[in-house]
Amino acid sequence: MTPTAPTPVLEAARLTKRYGRVTALDAVDLQVRPGAIGLLGPNGAGKTTLMKCLLQLQPITDGHARLLGRDVAREGRELRKLVGFAPEQDCHIPRMVGCEYVTYCAQLCGLTFQAARQRAHEMLDFVGMGQERYREIGTYSTGMKQRVKLAQAIVHDPQIVFLDEPTNGLDPKGRVQILELVHTLWREHGISVVLSSHLLHDVDQICDQIIIIAQGRVLVHDTLENLKARRRGTAEVVLAHRQNDFLTACQRRQWPCDASPNGRLRVDHGGTDVTPVLELLREIQLVPLEIVPSPNVLEETFLHALETSHATA
Amino acid sequence: MPLHEAHYQHWEGVRSGIWSRRAVIAANGLRGCLRGKWLRRVLAACWGGALAQVAVLFALGQLLVKDSLVARSTNNFDPQLRGFLQGLVGWLEQHPEISVRVTQDFLFYQLSGYLTVFTMLAIALAVPHLITRDLGSKAILIYSSKAITRWDYVLGKAGTVFGLIGLTWLGPVVFSWFLGNLLAPHWHFFWHSRLALLHAGLYGLGAAAVLSGLALGVSAISPREKITATAWLAIWLVGRVFSSIGNAPREVLASTPRHWLEHLSTTFNLSQLSASIFRLGDDLQLARENVPLIGNLLHGANPRALAAVQSPDVWGAVISLGVMLAIAAALVAWRVKPE
Repeated sequence: MTPTAPTPVLEAARLTKRYGRVTALDAVDLQVRPGAIGLLGPNGAGKTTLMKCLLQLQPITDGHARLLGRDVAREGRELRKLVGFAPEQDCHIPRMVGCEYVTYCAQLCGLTFQAARQRAHEMLDFVGMGQERYREIGTYSTGMKQRVKLAQAIVHDPQIVFLDEPTNGLDPKGRVQILELVHTLWREHGISVVLSSHLLHDVDQICDQIIIIAQGRVLVHDTLENLKARRRGTAEVVLAHRQNDFLTACQRRQWPCDASPNGRLRVDHGGTDVTPVLELLREIQLVPLEIVPSPNVLEETFLHALETSHATA
Repeated sequence: MPLHEAHYQHWEGVRSGIWSRRAVIAANGLRGCLRGKWLRRVLAACWGGALAQVAVLFALGQLLVKDSLVARSTNNFDPQLRGFLQGLVGWLEQHPEISVRVTQDFLFYQLSGYLTVFTMLAIALAVPHLITRDLGSKAILIYSSKAITRWDYVLGKAGTVFGLIGLTWLGPVVFSWFLGNLLAPHWHFFWHSRLALLHAGLYGLGAAAVLSGLALGVSAISPREKITATAWLAIWLVGRVFSSIGNAPREVLASTPRHWLEHLSTTFNLSQLSASIFRLGDDLQLARENVPLIGNLLHGANPRALAAVQSPDVWGAVISLGVMLAIAAALVAWRVKPE
């Protein structure tokens, strides 16, 4: 018996959104499987509009959308019990302390007070909030606000979470922590995550599916694995010394190779994995500090998609 | 080692219905309002009025007890007042089924008027807690991303005002009726005054519905708290100026028809509804027939004010309040959006 394909968590059919004469979403067609989904695009591409249309925060001009197999237009309210959303901007309910706020958000999704209070504490623990939870949200730092936003988005145990730029304004340590938390939601708990970001590195770290959107149109929708497979013949090598020996060896094998300003050597070896590079290094008796297969694939795919989009426009 | 010791756990439980979620919004709003010390002072004034009403009802009952301190102390009163009280006592003894209702109708009408003023003040203090702050902080986006629609949100916020009016108005009315009649000399006071309670309750509920709608409309005007609170006070006070047109000298007003500008006042319109619900015209007629001195007292009253009580312009009030509510609903629909 062949396994059946999982039901798409997100479907859009000719989904269109216009603001007056401006078309923010232009007949978007999508079928997205459960997973960690990265929504990429430049500013004003339509990422946030797509999320808001799916959550019914914006009325759809034309087309249809389904979330978790249910019609967004018909079942929006009940559907949102199973959906979490952390918006980009600060929009906390004023004069509430963190714990009270997360409890209230859980109650708005149908949890009883006791359950909501218990869940709120669990989620605040999960996102790494300590005693700050008893302070007014207005006094929080950007990092704390992002954590509370994440807590309120998952407090009601949704099946899918939309996160709009969740690492905005965070320091490197905070960014890593938030990304790690988001990563565990799908990997360990099966909660699909739609992560909208313009930070390609964030998406590369935690997402297994990529949607690139620009000018209201979906340019790329594929798994990260497939995108990387398209550029498997490239690797980035970091060496502590004897870079010239490596460059000479590459020239002998007629592999194009160049050094970037940060000292990393980028080589087009043409293989399906990094084995040819390892063989070459063994041959010239060099120990690399790091080998990155298919480096910057996301960035290159992104730029390529944008260039194609501009050329078409 | 995991970054955080706490782990995510799925939740399995029964989710509450939509009315429960609306009630959560209402309760949260009410909690927010009651944090203000000025609002608590206004509440104290409302309940103080209710206690005063209990005292009046108690004193009225004590007039029927011959040896009571209250009955004995009437001997020291002015002859005209003593005559009035004797007429009232006689009426209460002979026809309690009518007199208890009429006197309590009148007393609860007065109490409702007093509570209207403090309720308007309480709403002025509460208006920023309704929609204004959520507009200012863009919290509408968070509400809209939860399992509620924007109309559920509005209903919840209306529940907040309703709850507040319950505390400033309906609660004191029911409390004073219950305790006032509990302290009366006869149990039948409860039965005979049931219509007074019904009238006060009906009026309170109607006013609560109207004021909730208007408060939400004003609260949606701006994301700035000072602006909405001032707007509420301005609408109320300017309305009072319009309604005071009826208090001009009687020679000016005696021959003029009722002025339409009065209907721009929310409180005037509510007073018209109140007079019609309490049917004070009928009550005054009954009182005049049974207590002769009441006729003399009414003779000195402003005819226009008397006419407003005896034959209120209900339809004018209903239409005016309807228009005000429609404007408020349009404002709410326009302003309460996720973006």
